[in-house]
Amino acid sequence: MTLARNGVSIRTERLNKAFGPVQAIRNLDLEVLSGNRFGFLGPNGAGKTTTVRILSGLLRQTSGYAEVCGIDVSRDRDSIKAITGLLPETPGLYSKLSAVEFLEFIGALNGQSDEKLHRRIDSLLGVLGLEGRQDDLLESYSSGMKQKVLVASTLLHNPKLVFLDEPTSRLDPSASAVVKDLILVLSEETDTTFFICTHMTGFAEDVCDVIGILNQGGVVARGSPQEIVDSAGAGDLEDAYLRIVGGKVDREALLAWR
Amino acid sequence: MLGGEVMTGSWYHIAKAEFYVMTSGFRKHRAIGTVLLYTLATVWASYLAPMIIVGILEIIMPMDVMRTLLMVMFPGLMRTVILFLWALLLLYPLSYSLQEIKIGQWEIYLSNDVKTKDILAGTFLGKMPLYGLIVILVAPVLISPFMAAFEVPLLGQMLVYASLAFMVISTLWLANFLTSIIQARLGDSSRGNDIAKALSFVIALVVIIPMYGLMFFMPQLSELLGMDAFLIMPFTWPADLVSWIAITFNGIGLTGGQIIGFASILKFDIIQSAILTVTFGFLWVPIAIAAADRIFTIGAGARTESVTTVGRDNIILRGIRRVAKGPFGALTIVSLKDFGRKAQNLSKIFYGVVLAIILPIIIRQMSIIEGEIFVVDEILPMISIMIGIVGVFPFAGTGFLESKDQLWIIRSAPKGASRFMRARLATGFLMAVPLSGAPTIAMIIMFALPPLLAAQIFISAYIVVCGAVMIAMGATAQNPDYEDTKSPAHQTVLMTSMLLTEFTLLGPLFLDLFLTLGLGIDVLAVIESVLHVDGLWFMITIVGPSTLLFVGLAMMTLGIRSLGKVEV
Repeated sequence: MTLARNGVSIRTERLNKAFGPVQAIRNLDLEVLSGNRFGFLGPNGAGKTTTVRILSGLLRQTSGYAEVCGIDVSRDRDSIKAITGLLPETPGLYSKLSAVEFLEFIGALNGQSDEKLHRRIDSLLGVLGLEGRQDDLLESYSSGMKQKVLVASTLLHNPKLVFLDEPTSRLDPSASAVVKDLILVLSEETDTTFFICTHMTGFAEDVCDVIGILNQGGVVARGSPQEIVDSAGAGDLEDAYLRIVGGKVDREALLAWR
Repeated sequence: MLGGEVMTGSWYHIAKAEFYVMTSGFRKHRAIGTVLLYTLATVWASYLAPMIIVGILEIIMPMDVMRTLLMVMFPGLMRTVILFLWALLLLYPLSYSLQEIKIGQWEIYLSNDVKTKDILAGTFLGKMPLYGLIVILVAPVLISPFMAAFEVPLLGQMLVYASLAFMVISTLWLANFLTSIIQARLGDSSRGNDIAKALSFVIALVVIIPMYGLMFFMPQLSELLGMDAFLIMPFTWPADLVSWIAITFNGIGLTGGQIIGFASILKFDIIQSAILTVTFGFLWVPIAIAAADRIFTIGAGARTESVTTVGRDNIILRGIRRVAKGPFGALTIVSLKDFGRKAQNLSKIFYGVVLAIILPIIIRQMSIIEGEIFVVDEILPMISIMIGIVGVFPFAGTGFLESKDQLWIIRSAPKGASRFMRARLATGFLMAVPLSGAPTIAMIIMFALPPLLAAQIFISAYIVVCGAVMIAMGATAQNPDYEDTKSPAHQTVLMTSMLLTEFTLLGPLFLDLFLTLGLGIDVLAVIESVLHVDGLWFMITIVGPSTLLFVGLAMMTLGIRSLGKVEV
């Protein structure tokens, strides 16, 4: 397995991605250290998902350089996929499979089908509180339960680097707390790196040790949550985010449509 | 119904929204496009279609001969024509609507205090422009030969088209009503959508069988439809009404004896036929309006609440797991489970099996119609050519990926696309067994085939189905439609797969034709002299399927590459 070079899991240099006339990412310079829990914050359409797709080898950049765990994303995509896990933004589950069957499918896609895989499936479903429903078809799951299955599928092959795109957007508070703890434990005990795209500033503040705020394709602020709050002169991360990205609307404007 | 302020004319806005959805393809030029389409359709119906159809028929046989022929078959043929239109109008909207359950839209209507009868009227009127256009295009093709043969004047033709218009409107109302009932029963759940899609294919089968009947059993069917039992069928009444109008307004001077002859076949007179047509048409209006409040209700039904828990793997899956150990076996089993649990996939397999069983019946019928002696041995090449379609249908476009997000998950695994495609292909090859076995068993029963010939037919059919499966899966992987059977991508994949399969099977014959005409080399004769076998048989049963396997492999390779590519 390829390891992070010089303790750096992700590095990008002047990374650009354009979809026709739309510039999704603009000269993005990023560095995420091994074992970091990096929170990638930004408004809708800022380029978070595009960045994740490029870094996980699913999308080709227009220009610039990116490496993941020391591997150039333009060259050896299969090696990157073998050591990373991706939780996509929207659930792409198979409605007619049970949770166990879906996880078997993901395991087999990653070349695993042995007893170890089945033990891991049972453990993960137990940790995520799905053990009682593991043989029910996924079509009957709530969106939160589906999200938990996806989280399990992302961690199944024990990746060194995990990309989580809005991991808690569909979860209730208790399920969010489980995912939060899972991330913290994995990061501390196994040195797994997390790259987390989220809108939830509270979640980012609790989980991430480094945060990058993306706006209009480029990183506009970077540091620990406290550093960002302090540099923006705000009370908390949400306030800091709104000051950096904008988005506060006065009460009069909110009623102007009436 | 909800209380509060009642909106007026909601049906108009619903119909308008339906119309906007239907014409979204040319939304920038919606007004002019619609006017242009209807103008062209009117010109077609009133001038071009009668001229072209009658012109073509006169080339085939003189009008005098055709008139005599039509006089004999007229009532039965008219019933067949109207049956076709009726089935099209009743079942096509039903099948089309079931491909996309719209309960979510009902929730919006009801939360905005729209009356349920307005929903019914709005969705019905929204369908009218499209299906009206289809009827304007199709009806003249079917009706003009009769109008020309009986020299029906303008007034008579106007009455015929007015009767047809009434039948179209009343049938569409009934179709809309039935669609709403089925949608409400199924609900907007994953399972409801799946069952709805499955039903949409089975319904299509009900249209396909009469169409096969029209194509291959015309004389027998006309005779059959002349039977009294058909007087109770709703499509018979407008058909007989049209027949009576043509007879009453005929310009060829039908004698009293001839009219009595028609009356003895038609049984009901013009008044009775008109009353039955109008009564049946209007009967559904109060019934639908009275039932509207019960139909358009939102609530989790038994289906949406039920939870399916999977059990232990069955003997076949356990057998596969034992034979194919490792990730490939695991993926194949999961792939089989996913494919086999979707009602729409099973209905397509069922559809394919039914078509495969119909094949030998059609082949025998064709031989009888053409006056040939039916030779069982000659069935093999025909089966090879026709069963390709059976292999394509269940796998082209559907049973593949439910969403783009699934594709991201598959692509995020190393060589994920390749592993996924190989497992899907194994599923397809396993499903090819019943598709090839069904016609073989049907033929063994029908023609008492010797075992060797039965084995030959099965192997030959299996190879062709496998080739067709590879082509269909390869084409789908290159242009996935994510289970949207209404999408242009689905239609493209289906047509490409069908045409490529059939052209590949028949390709060697075309090659022989070109070589014979161009270079004077008769490949069939060469084969016969070298291999001492029938050249045509060899081409269709050996060369065609072999080429199909190569083309299938090429399509699969392209499909794997396309599915696993890095997006730009």
